[in-house]
Amino acid sequence: MAKIFCIANQKGGVGKTTTTVNLAAGLAKLGQRVLLVDLDPQGNATMGSGIDKRNVELSIYDVLLESASITEAAVLAEKCGYRVLSANRELAGAEVELVQLEHRDQRLKTALAAVDAEFDFVLIDCPPSLSMLTLNGLCSAHGVIVPMQCEYFALEGLTDLVNTIKQVHANLNKDLKIIGLLRVMFDPRITLQLQVSEQLKAHFGNKVFDTVIPRNVRLAEAPSYGLPGVVFDPSAKGSQAYVEFAREMILRAPSL
Amino acid sequence: MSDHTQAERFAPESAARTVLILPGWLGSGPDHWQMHWARSYGYTVVEQNDWQRPRRGDWLARLDEVITDAPGSLVLVAHSLGCILVAAWASFSRHTARVQGALLVAPGDVETPELKDRLPGWAPVLRQPLPFKSILVGSQNDPYCRADRAQDMARSWGAQWLDLGSAGHINADSSLGAWPQGHALLQTLMKE
Repeated sequence: MAKIFCIANQKGGVGKTTTTVNLAAGLAKLGQRVLLVDLDPQGNATMGSGIDKRNVELSIYDVLLESASITEAAVLAEKCGYRVLSANRELAGAEVELVQLEHRDQRLKTALAAVDAEFDFVLIDCPPSLSMLTLNGLCSAHGVIVPMQCEYFALEGLTDLVNTIKQVHANLNKDLKIIGLLRVMFDPRITLQLQVSEQLKAHFGNKVFDTVIPRNVRLAEAPSYGLPGVVFDPSAKGSQAYVEFAREMILRAPSL
Repeated sequence: MSDHTQAERFAPESAARTVLILPGWLGSGPDHWQMHWARSYGYTVVEQNDWQRPRRGDWLARLDEVITDAPGSLVLVAHSLGCILVAAWASFSRHTARVQGALLVAPGDVETPELKDRLPGWAPVLRQPLPFKSILVGSQNDPYCRADRAQDMARSWGAQWLDLGSAGHINADSSLGAWPQGHALLQTLMKE
């Protein structure tokens, strides 16, 4: 049975997509069968996996509107070793088209159920806003991975996300929980980041992943080459950290 | 009668309404009657993100966004693929009550094999009756839609059918200039 996780944070620019593509690549590198679902109309996770969003024939849009199955729409990101259910601007239309349909928040969940045996992990890159798309992601998932920077305002976005997850848990998906907080773009030379990191540990305990992703220029450069850092430069510290995080996820997965 | 004279003549009646111009695939050039109207009357052209490779979801979301942001009641003026867009949008959107009427001109038949290949994702044409008053203007020699097909769409959508004769795709190539006859049709929609 596939473990399904949303990578979400209602604060933008926190390394959400970087985490999604690099965790997917890290898991694939460790022999896991991975499906990456891009639920963001910006299509950054699609492009960051080496797939040109402008030339995609079938996408998550078609799956949500039930005009294609995941088997038909998912494509292999060849250099990355995982499959991608891609997104582009067309996905914004799903917000309009789903709104009057029945079970509109369960469309992705239903589609994923049909391919459950084909993957070990499904990673869903959610848009930062709380939309019908995000809701489809949260209704499908066993849990949420929250990437966050150790900065003062980081906790503000977290409060919104925790409230959203509580509501979805109460009304739509009893399985949903926060799997963990992943500290990203971490720079130990900055005192504030060390302090916030300690606060997170104190407040959230084992909900904070052991792995810390350091600030790393190679991770930032990789998207312009259409690759996750883990594939673009496997020796970079950031890439190694994401593989380590993948290992941590594999160890934690059976208990999730 | 010049465009400006018409604008002045109809301005008081149309003051509370916003007219949205919806071009078709590749947009409408400066000589297209839609652009004449936009220039002469200050109508708002709905700018799509990608005119070259139109994706239905993208166009639909953009139209919904513009309609949500526009003030007052709205009248839509669509050409070609814009007509197919209006039908799709009206089937899904929660904001259709904002629209008072639609002038639909020379719908592109996206169900023909040629257009189906070039505009993937647009077929089938959604056929639900439009929840607002509409007029569909077609022509007998439109290369992108046979007259009987256009008439059939008008019937499905509950639009008043109007045959413009041999007017091609009713675009800049049809030598209509500012197409005052079409603008008079729009005025009937705006008055009601």
